[in-house]
Amino acid sequence: MSGAAPESEPEPSLATTGLTKAFGGVTALDSATVTFHHGKVNALIGPNGSGKTTFFNCVTGMIRPDSGRVTYRGRDLTGRPPHRIARAGLGRSFQLCRVFPRLTVLDNLLAAVRPRGLTGQLGRSGGREETERARYWLTRMGIEHLEHAEARQLSWGQQKLLELAGVLMSEPELILLDEPAGGVNPALIDRICDLVRELNAEGRTFLIVEHNMDMVMSLSDHVVVFDRGRPIAQGPPSVIQSDERVLGAYLGV
Amino acid sequence: MPSASLVFQSVVLGVLLGGLYALLAAGLTLYFGVMRVVMIAHSAFLILAAYLAWYAHREIGVDPLLTLFVTVPLFFAAGVVMQRLLLTRLRPATLTMMSVLLTFSVALVIEGLLGYAFSGTQRRIRLGYSSASIEFFGARIAVVKLIAFGMAALALLGLYVLMKRSRFGQALRATIQHPDAARLLGIDTDRIAGYGFGLGLATAAVGGTALSLDTTIYPSLHWHWIGPLMAIIVVGGLGSVPGAAIAAMTLGMLQSLLQLELSTTWAQTVFYVALFATLAVRPQGFFGGRLAQRF
Amino acid sequence: MRSGSDTRWLRLGVLLVAVALALSFPSMAPSPYEITVGIAILNYAVLSTSWNFVGGFTGYISLGHGAFAGLGAYGTGLLVTKAELPPFAALFAAAAVVAALAVPVGYAALRVRGASFVIVSIALVLILLLVFQSWASLTGGSRGLVVPRPFPGMLRSEHHRTFYFLFLALLAVALLVWWVIDRSRFGMGLKAIREDEDKAQSLGTPTFTYKLVVFVVSATFTALAGGLYALWFGDLDPVFQFSILSGAYMVLMALLGGVRNLYGPLLGALVVGYALEYAKVEFGDTPLHLVVAGLLLGVVVTFMPDGVIPAATALLGRFRRTGETSIREVTAAELRERREENDTTEVSSERSST
Repeated sequence: MSGAAPESEPEPSLATTGLTKAFGGVTALDSATVTFHHGKVNALIGPNGSGKTTFFNCVTGMIRPDSGRVTYRGRDLTGRPPHRIARAGLGRSFQLCRVFPRLTVLDNLLAAVRPRGLTGQLGRSGGREETERARYWLTRMGIEHLEHAEARQLSWGQQKLLELAGVLMSEPELILLDEPAGGVNPALIDRICDLVRELNAEGRTFLIVEHNMDMVMSLSDHVVVFDRGRPIAQGPPSVIQSDERVLGAYLGV
Repeated sequence: MPSASLVFQSVVLGVLLGGLYALLAAGLTLYFGVMRVVMIAHSAFLILAAYLAWYAHREIGVDPLLTLFVTVPLFFAAGVVMQRLLLTRLRPATLTMMSVLLTFSVALVIEGLLGYAFSGTQRRIRLGYSSASIEFFGARIAVVKLIAFGMAALALLGLYVLMKRSRFGQALRATIQHPDAARLLGIDTDRIAGYGFGLGLATAAVGGTALSLDTTIYPSLHWHWIGPLMAIIVVGGLGSVPGAAIAAMTLGMLQSLLQLELSTTWAQTVFYVALFATLAVRPQGFFGGRLAQRF
Repeated sequence: MRSGSDTRWLRLGVLLVAVALALSFPSMAPSPYEITVGIAILNYAVLSTSWNFVGGFTGYISLGHGAFAGLGAYGTGLLVTKAELPPFAALFAAAAVVAALAVPVGYAALRVRGASFVIVSIALVLILLLVFQSWASLTGGSRGLVVPRPFPGMLRSEHHRTFYFLFLALLAVALLVWWVIDRSRFGMGLKAIREDEDKAQSLGTPTFTYKLVVFVVSATFTALAGGLYALWFGDLDPVFQFSILSGAYMVLMALLGGVRNLYGPLLGALVVGYALEYAKVEFGDTPLHLVVAGLLLGVVVTFMPDGVIPAATALLGRFRRTGETSIREVTAAELRERREENDTTEVSSERSST
């Protein structure tokens, strides 16, 4: 892993070494060592209870791991609070889509702006530059007409798009999506897939936790399979699909 | 330096007091467990029960202990009603905050009504055995304190058996630990939460009767109880009954020991010092309390 | 819900009338007594507006803000009597001390969510009541602390008049600061915390620091109100200064008026403050005022947790049939219905675009 990587070796993005987390007697993460690829669409899959969500929460700082390290492009992020991790360039969505329900759609995006210094903090929210940027993302998500509606008045699918817009507004390099296709109609799944491809082409790295196998296989460049709190296989989708261990894990063998 | 026998006496008194704290803190923990509610009115009900015991004793001359047969079922029912009619009305998103306000307003109403009905005068029950005491390895312990402790201990034991041995207790624990999973298992968590609330309030009935035996009561007394009780459940780790019991015993004993050197009021600050120290150093509490992490 | 330019003019007009009324009140008041009622209400207004820095922006309900008012009052009083500071220097020094004290308190209270915060806020009042009652050598204990008047030789009515304007000025500053925060990026971060704290933090908002800063700001304004009260009233008693009830009144006023609204707490203070003063004269000091306060708080919490302003707006909205833009609560069934509607429109727009 050290030294000059050969040309074909992808640049590491988010990586963990020996990440471990136990809840009471249950080991949710068991010394998980994983590397995701910078600039790619990465996927994290595994059966229920395999530790995906715990992994997600550990790397985004919502939960403190018992041991092990989390790095992003070589920078140590272990045990940092969530806002520090966000400021290091990691943006995340939540499993059950979370928006600010009683803020307007536009304000949902403005809340993701990170002001600098005292004047930045006390300066008026919703200045021209911010608003333009927010409208840009809303337009790309196709929900610009809902700008003044309160977020809770939106449909589930629209809220998913709003959440993604909010994450993008915070200008992340790496976007972590927790079940982006969960509870979403097929047309919208296609739309989200298109968005991920476009945004990836624009240089953003993705890490997606997903149950929808079609989506994972068609979208991702690199797949990591979790079982019992640790990775059991990783590689391109074609390799994963024919891996015996993966099948075994899903069938509970 | 106080003499060894004085220290011993304080330790015994601390244990006796700690028992009552433990019972009442268990009640608070139940509310928090089943509904994530910090029940400010808990100690107001405690004082209400004490007043009922005092009133029954004054008017019909019955032993305060007998009022338990009325107050315990009554408070249990009141708890169920309060949970079903009031707390379930609140929005889940703001439940913790708003329930505090709601139970706070209940406490105000009780305090106000007590003050209106019985005036602010300090009241005390005089019983035949009020001044009796026994010698215990050189410590003089009032009989009423022993009775109060015995009641608290029995009630706690009953609660423990109920929680660990009965089907209802199983459902209750499931509801506390994992409401979603409990619902999947076919447990009517709303109803269980109501009963949990009733049980919590029943502890206030027992505690209030115990309190009435050897304490001077007045309507605003409940503020002197709710503070220490809240401190106990935070130190013990919100949602943990054993944690609350250990914290209750420890802090009750500390308070009792500090009274040797300091005035009663200064000794009471030990609870708040422990509360602030806990939150600053170990916000999840000292004795477990998985629930506490995010609250 | 953009406010059109005509509503903006309307608002400005109402504001100007209100300011004019507030400024001319002392000269219109038939006797100094009315001015003292005005001062009491203004004091409540400053307190509930100060409370609303925490309650309104972050959604954290503090029942212990009475503690900061009491500390401000006693701090001012003690600095005047024991340290012999000039009265208004003492006022600001006391507020600074309270601000400094609010940092460790906030540190303990805000590290964890919700429940612990409320517990700490109540505990703060109770512990300070114990301390200020017990430490009689410094505070005078239950005998009270007499604060000398800041303007010796001033006539009683003139004294009231002066303090009326001082309280009015303090209220204006508190409202101004609230307004500035409300429209700032800092304020947007705070509102995000109120809506969903985890989410806000995951978007990069340093939630703990934000909460702590606004908590300190809130405590400082509360202390200023308390200190000013000490200078005006001149007599402090721990039972009243560190009363859990005064904190409850702040909550009640702010909730009643509406915590999301700049003028909400002020409106609530007008209503509740006037009612309190009226009840004091009419019925004296009976325990029933506790019952009334409790019932009122319970009703507000249960039936209109957003306050009367939003409730009234919603009612108006229903008359105007603006439908979607009103801030009324939507039932689950309605929401599902609407969601389905939206979903189908979404899909159809999807198809037409592809």
